[in-house]
Amino acid sequence: MDDPKAIIETYVRDVVRHLPRRQRHDVGFELRSLLNEDLDGRAADSGRPADAAMALELLTAFGRPQEVADRYRPAGFTVIRPADAPRFAWIALGGLVLQWAVTLIDAFTSPVATDEWVYAASWWGRLTTWWLSWGLGAFWWPGFLITFTLISAALGRHRRETKPWAPRRTIDRDHVNRPAIVLGLAFGAAGATLMIALPWLAVWAPGLPQPVLDAFTFDPRFLRERAIWALPLWAAGFAVNTIVLIAGRWERRTRLAGLALGVGWLVVLVWWLVTGRIFVDEAADEAATFGLLLVLVFVIVDIVVTARRTSASIRPPMVRA
Amino acid sequence: MVDGSAGQALKLEQDLRKGVLVLAVLSQLRTQQYGYSLRQALAERGMPIEEGTLYPLLRRLESQGLLASQWQVDDGPPRRYYTLSAHGAETYRELTGAWRSLTSVVDRLVVEEG
Repeated sequence: MDDPKAIIETYVRDVVRHLPRRQRHDVGFELRSLLNEDLDGRAADSGRPADAAMALELLTAFGRPQEVADRYRPAGFTVIRPADAPRFAWIALGGLVLQWAVTLIDAFTSPVATDEWVYAASWWGRLTTWWLSWGLGAFWWPGFLITFTLISAALGRHRRETKPWAPRRTIDRDHVNRPAIVLGLAFGAAGATLMIALPWLAVWAPGLPQPVLDAFTFDPRFLRERAIWALPLWAAGFAVNTIVLIAGRWERRTRLAGLALGVGWLVVLVWWLVTGRIFVDEAADEAATFGLLLVLVFVIVDIVVTARRTSASIRPPMVRA
Repeated sequence: MVDGSAGQALKLEQDLRKGVLVLAVLSQLRTQQYGYSLRQALAERGMPIEEGTLYPLLRRLESQGLLASQWQVDDGPPRRYYTLSAHGAETYRELTGAWRSLTSVVDRLVVEEG
């Protein structure tokens, strides 16, 4: 293609392809006319006839057709704002990777049905089956996020333009609810007392039926080696909460102490769960394990929330003297 | 590093020029012009604007109601001629006032610093 006019014609067609249909002929006609005139101007300036190289130089400077088409359009609206883009990417990709991680493990560990295809049990057979089901299927998550982001961007567009910013509610996460802390301390003390007294249940509640007493019989090794570590953690927890109750606010030091206590509980609970029985009775032990797992989840959530709140305050910059 | 800072200065200068682009275009459309002749007129007055920027800008200004346009045939192919609309003329007057105030403020700032 050496004819410069033909190059311009192709370029103009590429530009108008990206424009709304009603604009195409009008803009295309004008653009072709202007580009041809520009080319003639360049040829006159250089003192030689227009050629393909000259046309390409002109069009390269003009811009890629899609970018030029963008310039013809009015400014659109932002679907994902720059400030939200990293979080959006993390949530979208994180959800995808999480689904893949869970389903891949399942795909390689679960037994294969007898009526499956002949290579279903081989590693690549499992991988293929997984990819054609959960692997590709997991893309529903980014699609779901994009769809709802689009809808919320379209709905929020006019609202944002007309409404000035106003605080939704004043957030003072360091403020404490004193009655709630008193209640928590009271229930905590009662619970701790009950747990400490539980090994001597037969002594202080001799009237209870024997199956109940048997159900609450602790494993002796648990009591001797592991249970004892709950006592300093309880004591420290009461101390921290009492300090917060008196101060009326969480401070950085008390939050850090709370964080250390949370980590301490996490270590102790995992230790309890993985190193043997808690109750002698099988059913009671299973129930206790389940209960401790729930407590573990609560402790992890508490650690994450405390860690976020500890680091959430805006700190002053380091100033050189 | 020198190339980098020169490139950065060039980019900042382009941003600066972008800010006054609309005013420059409106100033030349008090009499009707078509795209190519407008570009020549601006370049002759020391304000060269790339074709890829100017031609779409004319359409956008027209869609905003600042310009009016019509196809016309003089001594050549049909050309689309642009001129200020009534709203465009009003906007141009306002922008001119804002520009004068801005340049006097920036001039003072630059002189103080210099």
